[in-house]
Amino acid sequence: MVSGAAPSSFRLNSVDRHGRQIDPSVLAAAETIFPKALDYGQSLLGDLAVIANTLEEVAANVSQRMARRDSSGEPEAIRNLPGYVFRAFVREVNRLKNKELAVLDAAVEGQTLAQRLADPARQLEMKVLVKECLARFDFTERDMCWRRLEGFTWDEIGPVHELSAHAAEVRFRNAVRAVKAKLVRSRKPLPPTAQTAQNEQLMPAMEADDDERKT
Amino acid sequence: MTTKEKPEFNDEFNEAEFFGFAKSYLSEAFPNPQRVGCPPDSDLQQMAEQPVEARDAGASKHLTSCSPCFNRYMEILANLKRRKAAGQ
Repeated sequence: MVSGAAPSSFRLNSVDRHGRQIDPSVLAAAETIFPKALDYGQSLLGDLAVIANTLEEVAANVSQRMARRDSSGEPEAIRNLPGYVFRAFVREVNRLKNKELAVLDAAVEGQTLAQRLADPARQLEMKVLVKECLARFDFTERDMCWRRLEGFTWDEIGPVHELSAHAAEVRFRNAVRAVKAKLVRSRKPLPPTAQTAQNEQLMPAMEADDDERKT
Repeated sequence: MTTKEKPEFNDEFNEAEFFGFAKSYLSEAFPNPQRVGCPPDSDLQQMAEQPVEARDAGASKHLTSCSPCFNRYMEILANLKRRKAAGQ
């Protein structure tokens, strides 16, 4: 964590939040680039404390890297240490941001799915589709379905049926597509509800009212 | 339900939605309390290990209309998946 009030006087800890020691030369380099790191990190991470923690972790990683010996037994030399620490910081910030976006996407996808499945019309559509699929699938396609339901990957499912993962996935998708196509072709009007029947009964009366108004 | 509200089936296949719905539907929709026509556990085990159409077609079809067997088969598959992940 940082100490001090203004960016120019910020000091980083010599230990990161995992308790890893930061080499004094790396710590100095990290403090040199701190204002630049702050500029970059604020737009993506926002919180000053998160930026400082990230920079300290990056500095600890660089310290560990520097402590490693190369093939001749010498410590690994880094020519432009502040530049190296800054690039490592940028990579780490981008990684954190991508991870955050991936989690957000998954949450939005989950919410959308839950919303769709809460819709009674969608539930009916899914019920018809699932029943039709299970009735029309052949043995292999149904077995793929059972395994997929229990979270097997296509890499695991394919070999069970002497297929590649891709071939198994394509076969299953095509089977679902064929069932959907049959359902679309055989689409028949469903019986009207009481409300729609009532509305339809009122239609001739409404048309008669319109005719009266015209005359 | 009006003609406008009836199933469309035209949109893209959403695998997560399909399997999410199928699992919750099949696990509850067919209670079969008398366990009519249920295959023995050993048949389900065999089918999970290595499905053979000539031997397992009946059991596989039965799962589409029996929630207790469906749930048991999902358990067997989950155990199989765990065993394979552990490298046994």
